[in-house]
Amino acid sequence: MNRRAFLGLERHAPPRLTEPLASIEPYDVPLSRDDVLHLLRRLTCGPSVALVEQLTGKRAEEAVALLLGEPGTEPPLPSPGPWVDQAQEDPRGVDIVTRGQIEATWQANFKRLQEWWIELMRTETLPAREKLTLFWSGHFTTEFTYDLGYIPPQVLYRQNLMLRRMRLGNFRMFLEEVTLDCAMLEYLGGTLNVAGTPNENYAREMMELYSTGIGWYTEGDVKEAARVLTGWKASLYSDAPAPNGIFNTWFKPSDHDIGAKQFLGVTIPARDQDTNTEYLVRTQEVRRMIEILFEQRAEAIARFMVGKLYRFFVYSNPAATDATVLAALMDVFMRNDFELRPLVQTMLTSKHFFDPANRGVQIKTPADYVVGLARQLGVTLSGAADALARMEQDLIDPPDVSGWPGYRTWISTKTFPQRIAYANQVIASISDQHAQQFIQKFPGWRTIDTCVTELCQYFLPRPISADRTAYYKSILLAGAPSYEWSSIAADAQAVGPRLRSLLRAMVKAPDFHLC
Amino acid sequence: MKRRDFLRAAAALTTTAAATQIAGVPVRASSPVLALPPRIMESDNVLIIIQLFGGNDALNTVIPAENDEYYRLRPTLAIPKNKAWRWLSTDLYLHPSLAGDGLYGGGLGGLMDQGRLAIVQDVGYDNPNLSHFRSTDIWLSGINSSDPFVRLSEGWIGRFFARVLPDFPAVLPEHPLCVQIGGTLSLLFQSAKGDVGIALTDPQKFFELGRGASPDEEPLPELDAFAREFNYIRSVAMQADGYSRAVLDAYNRGRTTVDYGSRGLPAQLGMIARLISGGLKTKVYLCYLGGFDTHVQQQEADDVTKGVHPSLLSQLANGVALFMQDALQQGFAHRVVGITISEFGRRPYENGSRGTDHGAAGVQFVFGDGTSIRSSRFGTMPDLQNLDANGDLIYQHDYRRLYADILLNWFDATAEDTAAILGERIAPLNVIKRRTTTSSPLVGTEENAVVIAPNPVSSTGQVMLSLRQMAAVVLELYNTRGQFVGEVFHGLLPEGNSQLPLPPLQSGSYLLQCRVGEHLVHRSFTVAR
Repeated sequence: MNRRAFLGLERHAPPRLTEPLASIEPYDVPLSRDDVLHLLRRLTCGPSVALVEQLTGKRAEEAVALLLGEPGTEPPLPSPGPWVDQAQEDPRGVDIVTRGQIEATWQANFKRLQEWWIELMRTETLPAREKLTLFWSGHFTTEFTYDLGYIPPQVLYRQNLMLRRMRLGNFRMFLEEVTLDCAMLEYLGGTLNVAGTPNENYAREMMELYSTGIGWYTEGDVKEAARVLTGWKASLYSDAPAPNGIFNTWFKPSDHDIGAKQFLGVTIPARDQDTNTEYLVRTQEVRRMIEILFEQRAEAIARFMVGKLYRFFVYSNPAATDATVLAALMDVFMRNDFELRPLVQTMLTSKHFFDPANRGVQIKTPADYVVGLARQLGVTLSGAADALARMEQDLIDPPDVSGWPGYRTWISTKTFPQRIAYANQVIASISDQHAQQFIQKFPGWRTIDTCVTELCQYFLPRPISADRTAYYKSILLAGAPSYEWSSIAADAQAVGPRLRSLLRAMVKAPDFHLC
Repeated sequence: MKRRDFLRAAAALTTTAAATQIAGVPVRASSPVLALPPRIMESDNVLIIIQLFGGNDALNTVIPAENDEYYRLRPTLAIPKNKAWRWLSTDLYLHPSLAGDGLYGGGLGGLMDQGRLAIVQDVGYDNPNLSHFRSTDIWLSGINSSDPFVRLSEGWIGRFFARVLPDFPAVLPEHPLCVQIGGTLSLLFQSAKGDVGIALTDPQKFFELGRGASPDEEPLPELDAFAREFNYIRSVAMQADGYSRAVLDAYNRGRTTVDYGSRGLPAQLGMIARLISGGLKTKVYLCYLGGFDTHVQQQEADDVTKGVHPSLLSQLANGVALFMQDALQQGFAHRVVGITISEFGRRPYENGSRGTDHGAAGVQFVFGDGTSIRSSRFGTMPDLQNLDANGDLIYQHDYRRLYADILLNWFDATAEDTAAILGERIAPLNVIKRRTTTSSPLVGTEENAVVIAPNPVSSTGQVMLSLRQMAAVVLELYNTRGQFVGEVFHGLLPEGNSQLPLPPLQSGSYLLQCRVGEHLVHRSFTVAR
C-alpha cells in the first residue's frame, strides 16, 4: 500500500470496479425507452411522459441536438416581471428605513427570479436549456447575498440570460463575457479594482475556479491579471453613473492601470492616455489576457472544464479507467477551439455516456429532485425555491464562490429528510382525478404487473429486484386481487390513495435519489 | 424503528461495505484485547471547533501595537494602540471587539484573565496556498500535500474515528460521534469508511423530519458505482432516522443558563451547550462563522474599530465567553475544549479597497477550563520585516500542532495513531493538559525531569533523565514549528540515571520530546556551532 492510499488521500468512495467503459464513439442505435429516460434524467431536470414518447426511436445524435437547441435563434423567454427594468438607489448611501425598503424589494424580486427559473425548468420541452444553464450558474458563481449586502436581482437576471445564451458557445468568449459581467464585477470586487490598489479577488477565481483550476499560475500572475482588470464599473443603482445605460458595465479610464503587464510570461504592453479607452482596453488587454490564458494553459483549461462537465453530466466520481475518455473529450474541446457544443454533443451521444455502468450512478441535485417530481408527475410546485434552499441549493445564491460542492454533499442527515418532507407535500397535492389520468398514460396500465414495471422504469434509474417489485405491487393493490387492478385504476377514488402510497414509499428509496 | 433494529440494520449495510473497503484506513486486527472500546469512547471529553471561514485577518485580531511597521502597512486599517486591549504588561494586544468592557464577561480578555484562554500566534504550513478552498481542505484534512492535484477527501477527525473505531460504521455508536451545526457536512467529518457526523440545524425539525426516513430497501452488494451510491444514501437516511430521537431527547433535557440570543455564532454555541447539558455523548462539535473574506471595506472609514470584521470578532468573543460561563455554571467546563481555525490570515499590507487580500499565517484561540488548558500565549508577535516571497507572514507553528495536542492529550490517541492520522510525526503544542491515570516513571517535575546539557549545545550535547523503574523511552527531535527531525533514542532504559548523546545537529533551535508510556515531556534547546 503506498503512502497516499494509506492516508486516504485518493478519493471519498472507491472508484468504479468495472473495466474501462465504452469509449466516446457515437452510440449509433435507435434509442430505446430506457436510453431516452437516461438521457432526459441527465440533460433535463427529469423526464416527462411526453418527452419520452417524442424521443424514443430517434438516434442519439438527433435527440441530443433537439435537446441542446440553437442558442441565439431562440425566441425570448417570458419576463419575470416589470421589476427587472426598474432600478433602486444604492442602499448603502441612504437612511436605514429606505435601505430596509430597498433590500426588502430585492429579496422579494430575487424570490420571483428563482421561482421564474424553476418554472422554466419545470415546463421546458425542446430545447432543454435549463440544466446546462444550471451547470454554468454553479460554475460562474454569483451570490445574491454576498459580503457587502445584496447583488441587485436585476443584474442576476441579466447574467442568467447571458449564461443561457452562451451555454454552448465558445468558452474563451464566454469567459470574457463573464469577466465584464455587471453582477460578476460587483460580486468579486471588480468595481473596486483600481490602478495602484488592485483587488485580486476576481483575477484569482478567474483561473482557480473558472478556467484552469488551481496550480497553473503564480501569485504574480494573479497580481498582474488584477492590474489588467482595473477600471471596470457596474451600473447597479438609479443614483449611480450609467454611461452605457443602467445594468450595464462601463469603463473608467482614470481607474485603469495603463502600465505594461507580465501575465503567464507574456507581455501586455503599456498604453498612453489616448489609447486608454473602453474598446481598446477591452480588446487589447482583457481579451488579450484571456487569449494568453488559453494559449499558455490550453491543456489545463481543457482538463478542468471537461472534468467538471463530465462530473456534472456523466458521473461525479470518475475512475482512473475513465482517463482515456476524459482525454479524448479534452482533445475534442481543444481541436474545436474551445467550442462547447461539439464537446457536449460528443459527450452526450457517446457509447460511454450510454454505457450501462453509467446509468443511475449520479446523485440528483435538489433541482433535479424537486423539479423532477413535478415534471414526472405532471403537477405544479409551490414554495419550490425555499425547498431547494432547505436542500442546500439556493439558486443563484450558492454557499460561496466555488459553487455547490455537489455529489455526495447533496445527501446529508439534514437534507435527506427535507427531500422526503417536500416530496410528501407534492404527493399530497395529487388529486384522485390527476392520479387516474397519470396512471392511464402508461401503455400497460391495465395489468398490474406491467403497470408496476412501467412505473418503476419511469421513476427509478435501474431495474429493481423481484422482491421490491412485489412490495410496490402490494402497495398498489392494497389487499385487492390482481385481476381487479384494471377497475381500480379506472376509478379515481380507488387509485388516488394507492398511487400516493406507492410514491411515498418510492421517494424514500435510495435509488429514487439517483439518476 | 427501534434503536436495536437501527444498529443491526446499519451493521448489515457495512459488513458488505467493509468487505470491499479500499485500502483507506488500516483496520485493527480484531483480537479480544483490542476489541475493548477505545479510550475515546470511555471518556466524556468534548471538542468544539469554530471555523472562521474566509481567512481571518490575524493582524487585526491580535494587534502588533508596538510595531511601527504595522501602522505603516495599514494606514487606514490599523487599530490604534490606545484602543487595543493589552494582556498584562506584554506586547500582546487584542482587538477591542475581542476583549474589554463592551463584551460579555470582558470577552476573550476576560477569559485570558481567568486562565481559560490560550492564543497561538502565526499558525500555518509550508508553501501557503492562497485559495480559500484548497487551504480550507488542508486545514480540515490535516494533510498539507504539496501536490495541488491530490484530492483531500477525509478530515482529520474523520480519519481519527475511522481508525480508532474498527467496527465503525458496522456498529454505530448510540449517539452521533460528531455534530455540525448547520450547513453541508464538512470534510472534517468525512472518512473513507463514511461520514462520522451529522449536520443539524434544529433538533425538533431534525426529529420530525428524520423520524421514519429509513428506506425499506436492504443494502446492495457493492459491486459497482450504482450500488455504492445507493448504499451511501441509504446509510445517511438510516442515521437521520436513528439519531433523530437521541438528539431531540438531549436537547429537551438540556438547558442553558445564559442568554445566547437567537442568531449567529453565539446561538450555535448555545445549542451545543444545551446538547452537552442534556447528555448527548457527541465527541466533536463544529460551528461556523463566515464572512472573513474581507477584501473590501473591512472596517468603517470613520471608526476603524467598527464594521464588518470587528463585528465578526465580537460575535466570536461574546459567543465563547457566554459558552464558558454557561459551562462553568452547569459544571461541564472541565470536559470541553474549543479551538478556532481559519484557512489563512491576510496579507500584512492593506489593499486599496480598505480591505486585505488573502495571506498566510494566522492566529488560533483555544478555550477551556484551567484544568484542561495552559492559559498563555504561544509564539511571539508576527515578524513584519521578514515576509515570504509573496509578502505574507511566515509561520511559527505547524497548523497540526494543536491537532496533535487534541489527539494525544484530549482524545487519548496513541503516538502511532496520531502520526498516522496527521501523516507524519508532529509535536503537540502542549496547550492541552494531559490527564494521566498513572504517575510518571520520570523523576522530577515537568520542568526538570529531562535536562539537555550544555544548552546551547556547541559540539556535543547530552540528554539526561532519571527513571523510577525500567521503562521504554522514545526521544524525538522536532524543529520549533513542531515538525519531526529525527529520533534520538527508542528503547528500554534502566532504573536510575541515564545519559544519551544528541546526534550532530545543524545550528538552530530544536524541541526534544521525551515519551515514556503515556507521559510526554518537551524541552527546547539551541545548537550553536
